[in-house]
Amino acid sequence: MRRAELLSRILIIIGIILAVGAPLYFWKSTPIIHAQMADDGGWSPDVIQAEVGKPLHLKFTSDDVVHGFAVGQMDMQSVDILPGKVTDVTLNFDKPGIYTFFCTRWCGLNHWRMRGTIEVSGSPSDPEPVSPPLYVSLDLDIDAPHESSLVPIIQPSAVSGQQFATNLPLDQSTDYYRSHSPYEVFEDLQTTSLTDGQRWDVVAYLWRSNTTKESLENGKQLYAQNCAACHGENGAGDGVFADDLAQAGEASMQSMSGAMDMMMQTPVDFSDPKRMLGASPALLQGKILRGGMGTGMPMWGSIFTEEQIWDLIAYLYSFQFEYEK
Amino acid sequence: MNPRFSLLLFVMAGLVVAFAPLPVPAIAPQEQTFEIDARQFAYSPSELKVNQGDTVIIRLVSADVVHGLYMDGYDVSVEADPGQSATLTFIANKPGSFRFRCNLTCGAMHPFMIGKMTVGSNNWLYRSIGLAALVVVGVTTSLKQKA
Amino acid sequence: MMAKVELTRHPLIKNALKSRYPQLAVFVVMLVGYIFAILAGLIGTPVGSHNFSIVFVWIAWWAILILVAVPFFGRGWCAVCPIPLPGEWLQRGAVLSPPDKRPKWLNLRVPKMFRNIWLQNISFLLLALFSSVLLTTPNITGIVLAVMLFAAIGLSTIFERRAFCRYLCPVGGFIGLYSQTAPIELRIKDKQVCVKCEGKPCYNGSAAGYGCPWDVFPGGLTKNTYCGLCMECIRTCPHDNIAVNLRPFSADVAKPSTRMDEAFKAFIMLGSAMIYAGVLLGPWGTLKDAAYGVGTGAWFIYAVVFLAIIFGILPGFFSLGLLKTKSAIPFKQRFASLSTALIPLGLMFWVAFSLSFVLTNASYILAALSDPLGLGWNLFGTANVAWQPMLTTILAPAQTLALVVGLIWSAQTAQKSASEAGVSPLPIIFYSFVATSIMLWLLL
Repeated sequence: MRRAELLSRILIIIGIILAVGAPLYFWKSTPIIHAQMADDGGWSPDVIQAEVGKPLHLKFTSDDVVHGFAVGQMDMQSVDILPGKVTDVTLNFDKPGIYTFFCTRWCGLNHWRMRGTIEVSGSPSDPEPVSPPLYVSLDLDIDAPHESSLVPIIQPSAVSGQQFATNLPLDQSTDYYRSHSPYEVFEDLQTTSLTDGQRWDVVAYLWRSNTTKESLENGKQLYAQNCAACHGENGAGDGVFADDLAQAGEASMQSMSGAMDMMMQTPVDFSDPKRMLGASPALLQGKILRGGMGTGMPMWGSIFTEEQIWDLIAYLYSFQFEYEK
Repeated sequence: MNPRFSLLLFVMAGLVVAFAPLPVPAIAPQEQTFEIDARQFAYSPSELKVNQGDTVIIRLVSADVVHGLYMDGYDVSVEADPGQSATLTFIANKPGSFRFRCNLTCGAMHPFMIGKMTVGSNNWLYRSIGLAALVVVGVTTSLKQKA
Repeated sequence: MMAKVELTRHPLIKNALKSRYPQLAVFVVMLVGYIFAILAGLIGTPVGSHNFSIVFVWIAWWAILILVAVPFFGRGWCAVCPIPLPGEWLQRGAVLSPPDKRPKWLNLRVPKMFRNIWLQNISFLLLALFSSVLLTTPNITGIVLAVMLFAAIGLSTIFERRAFCRYLCPVGGFIGLYSQTAPIELRIKDKQVCVKCEGKPCYNGSAAGYGCPWDVFPGGLTKNTYCGLCMECIRTCPHDNIAVNLRPFSADVAKPSTRMDEAFKAFIMLGSAMIYAGVLLGPWGTLKDAAYGVGTGAWFIYAVVFLAIIFGILPGFFSLGLLKTKSAIPFKQRFASLSTALIPLGLMFWVAFSLSFVLTNASYILAALSDPLGLGWNLFGTANVAWQPMLTTILAPAQTLALVVGLIWSAQTAQKSASEAGVSPLPIIFYSFVATSIMLWLLL
């Protein structure tokens, strides 16, 4: 064979081997966590191993739409995971345990199901006493109906309430606020000489005094990022996924013969005074922590810190009460 | 008629059809608000009509995943997550037809997620069809002349 | 009218084309790139806009093909396409000049029934019907590229010459048709020389090279349609009687073909350009869902309508225009020869359509160059270049220019074929005008 022919053949074969081998090699040797919409698989892999004190370097990419990444109960900024691009994240853990990571940009109806776990091993520190959430220690049945028997005629105003509250022996403690529904507080105020409207105003004031401007802002942001898609940007239970959830409920009603109240259903309307005013912050905390058990309401226990949940709850009541002016 | 002269005549006519300024109807600019639903892979409504000079307010509501809206020709855009609608405001000072498209990858058919905004009248389309008609007229007359 | 300019008269050009080394260098680069595109499609990111296979096949390669290669170089892409190469090298038993002993493959002649472009019409339509998925999904593109490569290799072991290229390749079908309008051609210089030539090595091969892989007799070439510009005949011709010439645009459509397969190819291309413009670039979401949902009921309806437009509506109205004119020439012949007017029209439809999505998405090319597989690389520093439509102000005028030029060109072609057929070109010109207006409305 002529030299030129031999060299050419070698060149071609090397070229083909490189064209096939290089991509395969780099693909195999680059561990990337793929984010996909929940219905297409969610996170892959969805279980990550880590060690206390050892920085965890992760690479993420999205295979379809814009996703985001954050670890629950950890003080970290969420990072966006963009389709076709790679995002690097480094995490550090001081305590062993199972952490939940989750998607932070809405990616379809089942966005909230897009979760995974990071199993962090290491020498366990002194075990922290785990206290049960308030609704458990109060023995609240958070699935029981909690309609308020009375509702205000106009939206109660915290500012007006403040004038009346100064002369009242009002228990403004956090424990009282958290364990009572607005209606219960309204009832407790019947010994006073105030009108119904004024009493509701005092309730509004009590609610407002148990939170801060920063907390309300934080709650508003949490609501917009996590709840508005289903519960509506104005809390009316008319978010972009509300119809899909209701339809899913109707569809499953035909196949399931079980409890109807645990079916997928339209998200709660926070602007409905009957439901909201009959719910105590502890009850709301319970719902948020535990989720809706098949109603489509996610469980947030492993995602939000306690502080975040109280901030969110404070914001939810602002659909009922006028806090400004 | 001298063929070269006819050709010149048609080229002049073509230039007129393409570039002669048309009177712009004097409509007082107003504010026009549109709520556009974005889902994989279409906008609803997908066709908007405004007058030249109007202030256009587009409220983008993403109904399934994160979408964006980029307006061709104006180079302005907005993005919205489901549950976090966003608003794009601009003044439609350029007349004509402009496509708007999604500028945040939202799935396979993302590059074809397209809508259309018409500001005033889509004059360039009419001029183009006019030019095409002129070609036909030109060719027909030259044929008749040869015959 | 510009006369022909023989490019191969210049020794630099002639030697560059005759020598196998420059061509081989281009071939190796193309083949490696093609195989890389297959791998990228199969294992790279599933996000089309960031995958080398989608960006470099459907944006970069397509732009160069339809905006430069076809209008200016006819079958120029075929001259450098890597698809036939592995099969051809196997067939020939060599990568460069003929070896002493060639491997014995079947070398069957393609059956007469398939020696036309109907298979290419069908393969193009098959791809067109699921084009929404093909254009946006990397692994589908990877699979289609791989299938074409292996089909070409397989066919080369069974049939003689470049059977895939000549009779099956979906791209070759329309490149061939449109190459008739290109300003470049490969032709013999003196017919008498060929008449006296013994053995016709341009077709049968010799020690210097192989017989025409495109199954064309160079001595009889009058049109570009089936010559793939592989330069093999320039190497084998012992009389230096073959030249590559520069010539006026659309010289070949002055000699209209009367073949029905080519006529229908013109309608297939015209129709698909219009349908793509409406479905992909229009604001109608239901059409896009139907086109993308391959296998669903809506897609089935879309496919039926697609085929009805191409095989029914477009040729139907065309025929109506024809029927109005009386001529001695049989209807089928008139239909075929007058449909040549749709060749320059269709080419410009594709140019106008392609300009839109190429200019809108060309910025992806830079990102895909730096991170072809979506693994987070940044080879050339351009991985984070943001998506930004390009040259948006000139797009509409460019599309109008392309379509109006196409109409003028089509009218001129109609005039020539019509006068040969002894009929009036006016119905055809009017037909082209209506089609152009529809295309303008769809794009602008």
